[in-house]
Amino acid sequence: MTMLRRAATVGGTAVLAVSMLAPAAVAEELTDYLDRAMQSTYTANRLVVSVWGDETSISSSFVEHADGMEMVRVDSTWTVVGNGRSVVVNDAPHGVAFVTHAQSIETDRYTIGTVRMVKHMRRDCRLVEVMEGDHVRAVILFDVNTGAPLITETFTGTGRVFRRSSLQDFKAYRTYIAPRTVDDVEYEIVMPRESEVLPDSVAGYQLIDIFPAPGGAEHGFYSDGLFTFSLFALDGAAEVTGFDDPKSFITGTGSYDVEATALDVRLHWSDGAHRYVMVGDLPPDHAADVLAELPAPDARSMFSRWWAKIFG
Amino acid sequence: MADVNTVSPRISMLLSCYLDGELTRDELTEVVAALENDMEAIAEFRRLKDTRKVLRTMPMLHVPLELIPGGHLGEQLSAYLDGELVTEEIPVVSAHLDGCPDCRRELGDLDRSRTAVRALPGVEPPVFLAPRIEEKRSRRGLRTAVALAAGAAAVSLAFAVTPLGDSDEPAAVSITELGSRHTARASTAPAPTGVQVGSP
Repeated sequence: MTMLRRAATVGGTAVLAVSMLAPAAVAEELTDYLDRAMQSTYTANRLVVSVWGDETSISSSFVEHADGMEMVRVDSTWTVVGNGRSVVVNDAPHGVAFVTHAQSIETDRYTIGTVRMVKHMRRDCRLVEVMEGDHVRAVILFDVNTGAPLITETFTGTGRVFRRSSLQDFKAYRTYIAPRTVDDVEYEIVMPRESEVLPDSVAGYQLIDIFPAPGGAEHGFYSDGLFTFSLFALDGAAEVTGFDDPKSFITGTGSYDVEATALDVRLHWSDGAHRYVMVGDLPPDHAADVLAELPAPDARSMFSRWWAKIFG
Repeated sequence: MADVNTVSPRISMLLSCYLDGELTRDELTEVVAALENDMEAIAEFRRLKDTRKVLRTMPMLHVPLELIPGGHLGEQLSAYLDGELVTEEIPVVSAHLDGCPDCRRELGDLDRSRTAVRALPGVEPPVFLAPRIEEKRSRRGLRTAVALAAGAAAVSLAFAVTPLGDSDEPAAVSITELGSRHTARASTAPAPTGVQVGSP
């Protein structure tokens, strides 16, 4: 698929008018756009559709975004996320907060491609192509006034749309609907630590932080400046629950249990000595590249799982 | 030689109301009759128009919100929804909303009524109602880093710290819990498509 065709995927439904923008008037760095989006203020319904293999996942949620925090309502449960915290507000509120290293990602993996001014829902928007090498990895429609990402499309390495996120019923202000009990919730505070097993970089992703995790695991947080994932390295005898109906993600290095949601993907495998879980928003080709540089699944443990699944 | 205003106080008052669009049908008839037959009324009308024109060219003075009687936002809420607050007013309004349930309730009512109006078919807002675009400055780099560091420091002071490497923790780990941890940590990194919350 050509760059123009990819851009038209967003533009076909959203763009009413198009004009070229003077290069000097736009940001030259992807982080400029993403940082501004992070600090934007808006209220909207977010619809996300993601395709992983043959599986399609859809997520719809009410979102209030302000001060770098995102308040998300799914059914009757609110989740407040931001600044390293995640707090679930329901009958039994709980949360986790990470003390993080304040460092930015230094990478030249992504560059800004074509930038155009467009109209979407009567709002002035900037359609930005995010290039990885010579192909488009993402097309993002930023609201000029607030900086909010109204539509985001990310692509696989072969040019297929992998995830599409759109903000509907967009309002450029807070509605103050979210619960105001977040500050009363007790957090589990997690401090960074040194790593014993996690690599400093994997397939273009840099290790940013390492934390302790449940079950004596190590939690490494990786980013390439656009996508992120967490790699959890557990003891080989540890059990990972919640993979109730996993699919197989088969790469050149082996077969992995995978569960894809609309907003992230969760992968699980064991090399015999350690059990690994990877959670992130990265596209399938990036995931395959990352897995190729990590310890490969142990065929014997995979056979044991199949045996247990079949014969109990 | 200075003009001498001989128009009656009532006509003068009605002319002022006419310019404000506040006349009843009967009063409007009275004003039209005066403007058609009374040269003094016409002169008074022109004088009032010129005065208002001069007033409109004067710089706008913004009264600090904390000086507003009663301490509530009132019409500022409408300007807030329209994105028409000047830059220095926004943090004041936000701070007031944070601490005032009455104004938040009023904001919610106002927002719902506007949402209902927007749902009506085929309504195009007049050009003169288009909100002024006030570009917010991009906040990036050092400011973000400082904010994160400050937030992390505040959090670490406010709450108890989890012991590191607790060997007594159970060997069974929920993927949902690991996903929540990723979501929390990833919230400091800009993500173009939002964050995963809740169970898959």
